[in-house]
Amino acid sequence: MTDQTNTFGNRRVMAPAFGLLIVLLYVFLLAPLVTIVGASFTGGLLMRFPPEGLSLQWYREFFARQDLVDGLLMSLRIGTVTAVVTTAVAIMAGLAGQVISGRWSGWFQIGMTLPLLVPELLTAIGLLFFLYKIELGKSVIGLQIGHILMSFPYAYVSIVAALRQVPVSLEEASASLGASGWQTFRLVILPLVMPGVAMGGIFAFINSFDLYTVSLLLKPLGGNTLPLALFDFLTYEFKPTAAAAATISILLSILGVALVQRLVGLQRAF
Amino acid sequence: MTRGARLRLLLALPAVALIFVFMVLPITNMVEMSFRTLGTTAPFGDSYTTGHYSRILSDGYYWQVLLRSLVTALLVTLLCLLVSYPIAWHMSKAHGFKAVMLYALIASPLMTGVLVRNFGWMIVTALNGPLNETLLGLGIIERPLRLLFTQGLVVLALVHVFVPFMVLPINNALRNIPPALVEASSSMGANRWQAFRDVILPLSFPGIYPGVILVFVLSIAAYVTPALLGGQMVSYMPTLIVAELNGTFRWPLGSALAIVLAVVTLICVAAFTLLTAKLMEKSRA
Amino acid sequence: MAAVEVRDLRKRYGSFLALDGVSLTAQTGQLVTLLGPSGCGKSTTLRCLAGFLDPDGGSISIDGSDILGVPANRRGFGVVFQNYALFPHMTVAGNIGYGLKLQKRPKTEMAERIADAMRLVRLQGLEDRYPRQISGGQQQRVALARALVLRPRLLLLDEPLANLDARLRDEVRWLIRDVQQESGITAFYVTHDQSEAMAMSDMVAVMKEGRVAQFATPREIYQKPVERYVADFTGEANFLSCTRVAPVAGGYDIEVAGAHLRVAGVPGIRDRAELLLRPEALSIAPDTGQALFQGRVEKLAFLGASQHCEVRLPDGGALKLAVQANRPVGVGDQAGIRIDSEHAWLMPEVRQ
Repeated sequence: MTDQTNTFGNRRVMAPAFGLLIVLLYVFLLAPLVTIVGASFTGGLLMRFPPEGLSLQWYREFFARQDLVDGLLMSLRIGTVTAVVTTAVAIMAGLAGQVISGRWSGWFQIGMTLPLLVPELLTAIGLLFFLYKIELGKSVIGLQIGHILMSFPYAYVSIVAALRQVPVSLEEASASLGASGWQTFRLVILPLVMPGVAMGGIFAFINSFDLYTVSLLLKPLGGNTLPLALFDFLTYEFKPTAAAAATISILLSILGVALVQRLVGLQRAF
Repeated sequence: MTRGARLRLLLALPAVALIFVFMVLPITNMVEMSFRTLGTTAPFGDSYTTGHYSRILSDGYYWQVLLRSLVTALLVTLLCLLVSYPIAWHMSKAHGFKAVMLYALIASPLMTGVLVRNFGWMIVTALNGPLNETLLGLGIIERPLRLLFTQGLVVLALVHVFVPFMVLPINNALRNIPPALVEASSSMGANRWQAFRDVILPLSFPGIYPGVILVFVLSIAAYVTPALLGGQMVSYMPTLIVAELNGTFRWPLGSALAIVLAVVTLICVAAFTLLTAKLMEKSRA
Repeated sequence: MAAVEVRDLRKRYGSFLALDGVSLTAQTGQLVTLLGPSGCGKSTTLRCLAGFLDPDGGSISIDGSDILGVPANRRGFGVVFQNYALFPHMTVAGNIGYGLKLQKRPKTEMAERIADAMRLVRLQGLEDRYPRQISGGQQQRVALARALVLRPRLLLLDEPLANLDARLRDEVRWLIRDVQQESGITAFYVTHDQSEAMAMSDMVAVMKEGRVAQFATPREIYQKPVERYVADFTGEANFLSCTRVAPVAGGYDIEVAGAHLRVAGVPGIRDRAELLLRPEALSIAPDTGQALFQGRVEKLAFLGASQHCEVRLPDGGALKLAVQANRPVGVGDQAGIRIDSEHAWLMPEVRQ
C-alpha cells in the first residue's frame, strides 16, 4: 500500500531516479557472478566476457585437471562432515540453551556464535599454533576441526531460531501424555524443527565450502580444498577453467538459496 | 532449576568443548606465542621477549601497513553503508514474490565464496573486460583503465563482498519502522527529506550499528581480497601476518602483528559504540 | 476553521473496491464520525483526507478549495493514529514540538506552545519522558497534543481509542470531545465502536462496503435507520417481518406477528417491510390483556442493572429485551410483550 501514497507529492520526479540507482546497485552486486558464469562457457581461449561462442570445453578441462578435481572432492567431503557434525552439536546446544535464562542466556548466545564474531584470521592463527602443539598440524583432521568450528555458528543460529518457534507448552503436553524426554524430542520437537535443522546444515556446508583463510593456514600437506586450488590456479594460469570451477561453486550456492527458500523462506532465514 | 533442566544443560557440553578447546584456548595460546623469541629450527623459540611488540611499534613500515588497513576498512565500511542503504530501503518496501527475489539477489552473493566473487572482479576489470569496454563505448574514457592490482579495486571488491552484511540488518530495521511514523511526520509538515532525516534514519540505527561493526571488523581482517587483487607490491595487515606465518615462519612476530590488529579493531569498535551509545539508546524502540 | 466537503470519493486496490463513491460534509466545528466494520472504507476515507492516499476519483474541498493536489505535509491537518505513531526516539516534548521545529519557530514560542498543548491534555511534568516510559493513556494524550499544537484546520482521528482498556477509553473519549469543542476545530473520527460514535459525534456516517449507508445525527441514525445494516450496527435490535403494509398519512398501517399497529418509518416503502424494535421499546406486560405479542421466555441472564431476556414468538420470531433486575421471570414462562410504538420504526426489508 505504501507505493500508493502521495504523502510527499512529486513522486513522478523522484521515483525514476531512485529506480535507476537501485538497478545500478544490483548490477554492481551481480556483475562479477554473471561475468564468471558467462566466461566459463566461452568457446575461445581467453577468459573473456561476453564469451566468444558457446562451449563446454572448459568444464571438460576442469574435470581433466587432477588438482582441481581433487580440491572439489576434498571440499565436498569436508563440507559434508562439517554439516553433519555441526547440526548434531548445534541441536544439542540449542536444546540446552533453552533452559538457560536471563543474563546467562545472552552470554551463552555470544559464546556459541564466537567463531562468527572473531575475525576468521585470528581464529585460524590460533588454531594453526594449537594444532601444531597437539600434533595435528597440517592434517586433514585439523582442517576438518577448523571447518567445523567456523561453520558451527551458522548451524546453531538457524536451529535456535527453529527451536524458538516451538511453544514450550508442546513439550509439556507431550510429557503429560507420558512421553519421555527422548520420545518428546524424537516425536514432537525434531519433526517441527527439521526445516531449521536442514537449513543449518546447508549454511554450514556452504560456509565450509567457501572458507579460505582457515584452509590456507591449516591445509594438510598436498591436500587442497577447491578455493585453495582455485587461488593457486588463478595465480599461475589465468584460464577459463577457473571460471568453470567458480561457476560450479556459484551453482551450489544458488541451489542452497533455493533450498533455504523452500524450507523456511528467505525472509525468515536472513 | 529442575533436575531435568540441569541434565539438559549437559547437552551443551560438545558445543562448549568445541568453542573452548579449539577457539578460546588457541587464541589465548596465540597471546603467549606473541611473547616467544624467534626460533632457528622451529617456527618459534623457547624463551620469552616483548621485543616483537617494541619492534612493531617502532618500525614505520608496520605503522604504514596498519594505517593502510585501517583507512581501507573505514572506507569500505562507509561505502558499504552508502551502497547498502538504498538497497535495504528498496528491499524493505517489497512484499510477496518480489521480496523473495530481492532476498535471493542479496543472499546468493552472500552464499558464494569470497574468492569466487573477487575472481569475478578480475574478469570484469581486465584491460579488455566488460567494464573497460563499456566505459570506452560510452566515451567516458579514452584508453582502458588498469584496475587490477590497485588499492581501488581492493576497496571495490571488499565493498562488494560485505554489502549483504550491511543490507540485511538495515533492511530488518527499516521493516520494523511503522509506516504511520512517516505519515505522522508528514502530517506535521515534514517533507520527504525531513521525514528521512528525523524519523527513518535515526530509527534504522539499530540496523546500521551491527552492519557497520560487522563490515569494519571483517574488512580490516580480510585476507583473500588484498592477497588476490592487491598485487605483490602493497601489503595489508592480514597479508603481512599470513606471510610471517606461512612464508618466513616467524610465528611469534605474526602473532604479535595479529594481536596489534585485534586491539586496534577493538578500540575502533569501542569508540564507535561509545560515540553512538546515546543514539542507540534512543532508537531502540 | 473549516467546512469540509467530500464528494464521490473512489478508490480501488486491484479488484477490491475500497471506496465506491463516498460523499460527506462537515460544518465548521463539527465532529463527524465514520462508523463501520473493518474493510468498510472508513480508514481509507480518512487517509484520503489526510493526504496519505490518492483517491482514484472524486473531490475533497475545504472552504471551497480543492485540496487533492496538495501533499500531506502541506495540508496542515492534525492526525491522531490508531497506534499513536509517537516517535520512539523523541521525548514527549520532542514529539509535540516536532512540527513547530520544522516551522523553525523561535525557542520561546515553541516552549510556550508545547506547554499549552500539554496543559490542554493534562500531561504536565512528563516533558522529558520517552514514549515507552509512559502509559498507553498518556501516549494517546501526547498524540492528541501533537496533532493540536500546530492549530490544524482539521483534526483527523483514526480509531484513537482502540488500544486502550475500557476504563481509560471513557476518560480519553471525553477529553477528545472536550478539547475538540473548546478549540472549535472540525474533526473526522474513525471508529468501529457504535457507543463511541453515538456519544461523541455531531454527525455519523455509517459505512458499508465502500459507501455511506446513512449520514445523519446520532439520534437519527439510532432511531430512524434507513436499513437493517445501519440499525444492526448502531445497537441491539429486534427485527420482525411484516405480513401486510399499507401507507397512511404520517406512517404505515402494518400487520406483524398477528398484531395490527400504526408506526412511523422510512418513506416510500411499498410491499416488503420489517419492523425495528429496540430492546428499550419493549417491556413485559403486567397482564396479558395489555400485551401486543405473546411468547415463551427462552433465555434469561442476570446482568446486574437489568436482566437480558429472549422471548420466542409463536410464529417463530424472537425478541430480545431488557427486563428490570428484580422482576420475577423464569425460563419457560409465558410472557406478554408491550411495545412503545413511538420507538418502533419501519424499514424496507432487504432480501439477503
